[in-house]
Amino acid sequence: MDGITAGNLKMVFGDFVAVRDVSFEVAAGEFVTLLGPSGCGKTTLLKMISGFLTPTGGTIHLSGVDVTRTPPEKRDTALCFQSYALFPHLSVLENLEFGLRQKRVPPAERRQRLDAVIDNLDLALHLGKLPNQLSGGQQQRVALGRALVMRPNVILFDEPLSNLDAKLRDQVRIEIRRIQRDFGLTAIYVTHDQAEALAMSDRVFVMNGGKIEQADTPEELYSAPKTSFVADFIGSANVLEADVTSTNGNGDVELSTPLGPLKANSGAPPMGRKVKICWRPEHADLTATGENRLSARVTHRAFQGHFTDLHLDDGGNGYRIQTNQPSIREGDTVTFSLRSDQIVLLEALA
Amino acid sequence: MSAQRLNQILLVLLVSLTAIWLIVPFSMAILWSLVDPAEPWTADKLVPPVMSFYRWQDMWENSSLQTALVNSYLLAPSAAIAALALAMPTAFALGRIRFPGREVCKILALLPLIVPPFVTSIFFTSMLYQLGLHTWRFGAILFAHAIVFMPYAIRIMTVSFEQVRSDHIDAARDLGASAWARWKVAYLPALKPGIFASLLIVFIQSIEEFALAFIVGSPDFTTIPTLLYGTLGQDFVRPNAAVLSLILVVPNVILMLILERLLKSANPALSSGKG
Repeated sequence: MDGITAGNLKMVFGDFVAVRDVSFEVAAGEFVTLLGPSGCGKTTLLKMISGFLTPTGGTIHLSGVDVTRTPPEKRDTALCFQSYALFPHLSVLENLEFGLRQKRVPPAERRQRLDAVIDNLDLALHLGKLPNQLSGGQQQRVALGRALVMRPNVILFDEPLSNLDAKLRDQVRIEIRRIQRDFGLTAIYVTHDQAEALAMSDRVFVMNGGKIEQADTPEELYSAPKTSFVADFIGSANVLEADVTSTNGNGDVELSTPLGPLKANSGAPPMGRKVKICWRPEHADLTATGENRLSARVTHRAFQGHFTDLHLDDGGNGYRIQTNQPSIREGDTVTFSLRSDQIVLLEALA
Repeated sequence: MSAQRLNQILLVLLVSLTAIWLIVPFSMAILWSLVDPAEPWTADKLVPPVMSFYRWQDMWENSSLQTALVNSYLLAPSAAIAALALAMPTAFALGRIRFPGREVCKILALLPLIVPPFVTSIFFTSMLYQLGLHTWRFGAILFAHAIVFMPYAIRIMTVSFEQVRSDHIDAARDLGASAWARWKVAYLPALKPGIFASLLIVFIQSIEEFALAFIVGSPDFTTIPTLLYGTLGQDFVRPNAAVLSLILVVPNVILMLILERLLKSANPALSSGKG
């Protein structure tokens, strides 16, 4: 197939296993984000795809060709570095055409490719400048342009926005996605910022401890996390332990939890008799009077503009809800309902 | 006392010290080199009574100054280039490769510099004789200078190699650069200031070196320092020594100024990215 296929990838540094038996497929033209905390193996995985690290085990195929041991200079990939890695003594134009010169692209084609990228990234005014004369956002665009002129099948991003301020980050984020679509590139994007991952990706691979915990669309990851790690890492979630008291054929599950009995119906059968469950703070409905009614005292209140964050305490069990009623104060007791399809069953407990 | 007054006093003090340290010796050397043999410069006179370029002309025509100049100015740049070339692999290893004991190796590489030069020279010379390298005097001194001054080049180039950014090397590789192109685009710009600095330092050390040049080279092979020491030792002729001192010092000062400019022009380009 076109795109990227990885089979049982493994990377070991001494005693430390950075990536353990990871397998995945990325379709041509797809935008996939590797998301996870520091040390989860996402950058190691990216370096294996780009060729800077040779896996201890497993295989990588790009467009059907085995490139597991192909060095980066011979792979059809282009990497955008976190630090941009622009050559400081070369002008913007020289930086942009560096790769084309290395690959001995004929001058006419070189000119044409450069023009397309310069035009697309709006770099015409900066061609004669040195990188240190550009702002962070402009340097980022040059780095992106330098990768794009190579017309790779796969473009790889290593936390490219982490050095930009919040406003610029939003702009460049949109720009990266637009360019990826315009050029029809397969993209792998590494970040630890879950908002960035959810906003940009077709699919997100959430990584933890060298493994992919869940590979799904942003919507699925948010609404149906499979593990408590994913639930907690993507957005905020109230995760608690529960005993399964009964199930029926329609997917209804009755649970015994520290907050009292709850009913869940998230479509998936429970993974065991004792499981973890989660629900999102914004799913607490203070107006409804239906199933799963809970009451608790407000211990802390944080007004956030379009919603108010409430920290609740129910007999020593703490959790959070969000409401659009700013009148609730600390010390008040609130009662709310949770729909059974919004209580998600996670992994089984041993 | 006000701060302004204190500043003024400190400034005067600084200028006076600079004068004592630099201007006085230089002026004395210039004046002594211009003393005409017709009338000696005695202690009761502030400046020489008669001044001429006789000493300069005499040294140029009647001593081995011309040969010493050629020898010194061939030897020093050759030694600088050789020391740099020899230092490169060690500096690369110390600057780019992580291995246990790296910091200890860095200190060990500098140890030869703390041994007194004459001690090193005597033992080094005996080694040159054992190797049979002493017959070609120029080659023997060149070899000796390159080896003895290599620690300077190793230290400077180690720091330079540490400053080469790995992401630049990786970016060049990712863009399809060959090993040579990677060297040119990622290593060389970061190494340039270090290359200039080590060339200059070894050059100056070599051009001023006496012990090795004297022990290995004498009596046939003269350099400016051996000629200078000869002038001072045998029959102490101060005006001749002044001429030689100036010949030895002035090019070094000029080279130092050139290096300063080169380093300034090389540095700003090194920063990019996160900043």
